[in-house]
Amino acid sequence: MTQIPVTVLTGYLGAGKTTLLNRILTDPHGKKYAVIVNEFGEIGIDNDLVVNADEEVFEMNNGCICCTVRGDLIRILGGLLKRKGLDGILIETTGLADPAPVAQTFFVDDEVRRRARLDAIVTVVDARHLEDRLADSDEAGEQIAFADVVLLNKTDLVSEDDLERVERRIRSVNPTAAIHRTQRCAIDPATVLDRRAFDLDRILTAEPDFLEGDHHHHDDAIASVCLRSDRPLDPDRFTVWLRGLLAERGADLLRTKGILAIAGQDRRFVVQAVHMLMEGGFDTPWAAAQRRESRLVFIGRDLDAEGLRRGFEACAA
Amino acid sequence: MSGPAGRLPAALSDDGGSSTQLDTHVVAAVALDDGSLAVGLGDGRVAMAPPGDTGAFRFSAVHAGACLALAVDLDGRSVLSGGDDGVLARVASDGSVDTLLACPRRWIDQVAVSRQGRWRAAATGRAVHLLAADGTSAPALEHPSTVAGLAFDPDGQRLAASHYGGVTVWPTAGSARRRPRRLAWVGSHLALTWSPDGRFLVSATQENALHGWRMRDGVDMQMSGYPVKVKSTTWLPEGRFLATGGAEAVVCWPFAGRHGPMGKPPVEAGPALGCLVTAVAGHPSRSAVAAGYENGTVLLVPLDRSLPELVKRPGNGEITALAWSPDGRTLVLGTDEGLVVRITRDWTPNRATAAARARGQ
Repeated sequence: MTQIPVTVLTGYLGAGKTTLLNRILTDPHGKKYAVIVNEFGEIGIDNDLVVNADEEVFEMNNGCICCTVRGDLIRILGGLLKRKGLDGILIETTGLADPAPVAQTFFVDDEVRRRARLDAIVTVVDARHLEDRLADSDEAGEQIAFADVVLLNKTDLVSEDDLERVERRIRSVNPTAAIHRTQRCAIDPATVLDRRAFDLDRILTAEPDFLEGDHHHHDDAIASVCLRSDRPLDPDRFTVWLRGLLAERGADLLRTKGILAIAGQDRRFVVQAVHMLMEGGFDTPWAAAQRRESRLVFIGRDLDAEGLRRGFEACAA
Repeated sequence: MSGPAGRLPAALSDDGGSSTQLDTHVVAAVALDDGSLAVGLGDGRVAMAPPGDTGAFRFSAVHAGACLALAVDLDGRSVLSGGDDGVLARVASDGSVDTLLACPRRWIDQVAVSRQGRWRAAATGRAVHLLAADGTSAPALEHPSTVAGLAFDPDGQRLAASHYGGVTVWPTAGSARRRPRRLAWVGSHLALTWSPDGRFLVSATQENALHGWRMRDGVDMQMSGYPVKVKSTTWLPEGRFLATGGAEAVVCWPFAGRHGPMGKPPVEAGPALGCLVTAVAGHPSRSAVAAGYENGTVLLVPLDRSLPELVKRPGNGEITALAWSPDGRTLVLGTDEGLVVRITRDWTPNRATAAARARGQ
């Protein structure tokens, strides 16, 4: 069964989400998209099929304390998938939306999972106001933490020094996202569509500038910890450690991604998690010339970098 | 794109039946009082065919988008269709279309009819519109979150609406000051069904389970163990069992006693074909369920452990719609790849066993 790709656009009100949406829709790609919106913006949306939905975050009654899903998306995606001829679905979230329930919907609901595929979360940020938003709200950090692509927009309104500082700040929250500088969201839609960012075999492989060092911030903001190791891992030890970590700290761990070298295995093991929901599996073999290096990234709150490092190192075979 | 194509007799098990291949998703199927059949389609059309399995479908363009819900209307001769264009329409047997409600930019994905109580109901988001037989409607009934299931009780005295956190049960009479009863249970509640005697109300939940209430005292009952959400349920004659999809066999919960299924295990019927049962329709008079599978197979599964009868071979997409004519002679089925099959037969219990014997099983 072919799965329809779904792209999620997040960002604070005024950052330029709707501008980006209209850029994608009016590009002469000849494709047919359905658009799901959760708020009425000032800018009209240039598309035949626009669905308005009230954002409804539901807790799952399944014993997983931080497992929330978007009931509105389950219902609307189920309905849209009864139509033929759609090439993709674009979801524009509200400025204050937490991306976790959106992503978790694609892990948890069997029907959505079977028929649709979360392609990428694209976050638009306003270069001039991002630092203020990060200081005064949780959502701004969460939206960057979950992003696969960040559009650093309105670059014409700030100096080059400011841009570099803001970009470093984005990197400190999310070391794996692709960052693009834009003005009025002018970008080739191919840069944000068909990213396959949630496919296990693309985890950590598409972003060459990943892991330039540890950008851990010592405040209560969202930050990241990047770990690497040349020693092959013991699969049982690693699984027990990661499962325990996600069960205990899953509420604070927003996203986890890793490519791992398992002792005695020629294939790479890839893993990703959104809060406590984890999926993983063996992927393609390591290339002959490739260094068998395990890489693991945590994005979250109150991360204990040293504890994570010790736990990870103890998983060596 | 449409019309009877006479495709694939090979999709059927043996004799009889006719196939129609359409270029859209089959969303729902219902049978009218005289045995006429109606299917709601993902391209917004509703197709109706005369009784039996030989007459041609007549197509009516009803919705600008997709049909999302279909129900037999009050007269038993026409259908109500709700769509993602916000339209609730009545389609008569001559194919004519009357719009009863139009809510632009909303979806009507839940429709219910009480022929006993002479009511119609449709949900748009958190609001439920209750329409009297003369077309007048009361002020919309509001709910705490989007309504995902609607069902009238067998007398038409009560309308149940499911949402996040439980179900709200409204009296249908006395329009001005309706005082609903709230049945609370954690989680998101979806499709609803009343037992034929009105004693039990059952919801399918987002957590891959059924939740039931005994209406007399509000006692809760949880029916869990499904690998996916339950999207199709059907009551067997006299309400003795509630048969459901959502597992690799037909799962049947016993409702005959005073306590319903409480403390009793379900009966599993039908062979495990290695894929899920996606649609079920109880035969109107026999203790047997037409079961449609994810791989396109349809079986008639008796509950007495006799052999199931093959109705349709695998292929042509997932079974998304199943309905019996009231006389139990014609079965209509539809798939997400647009195949519609009608089969008129003498579905007697002995026949299934005899056919199986003839095949050397």
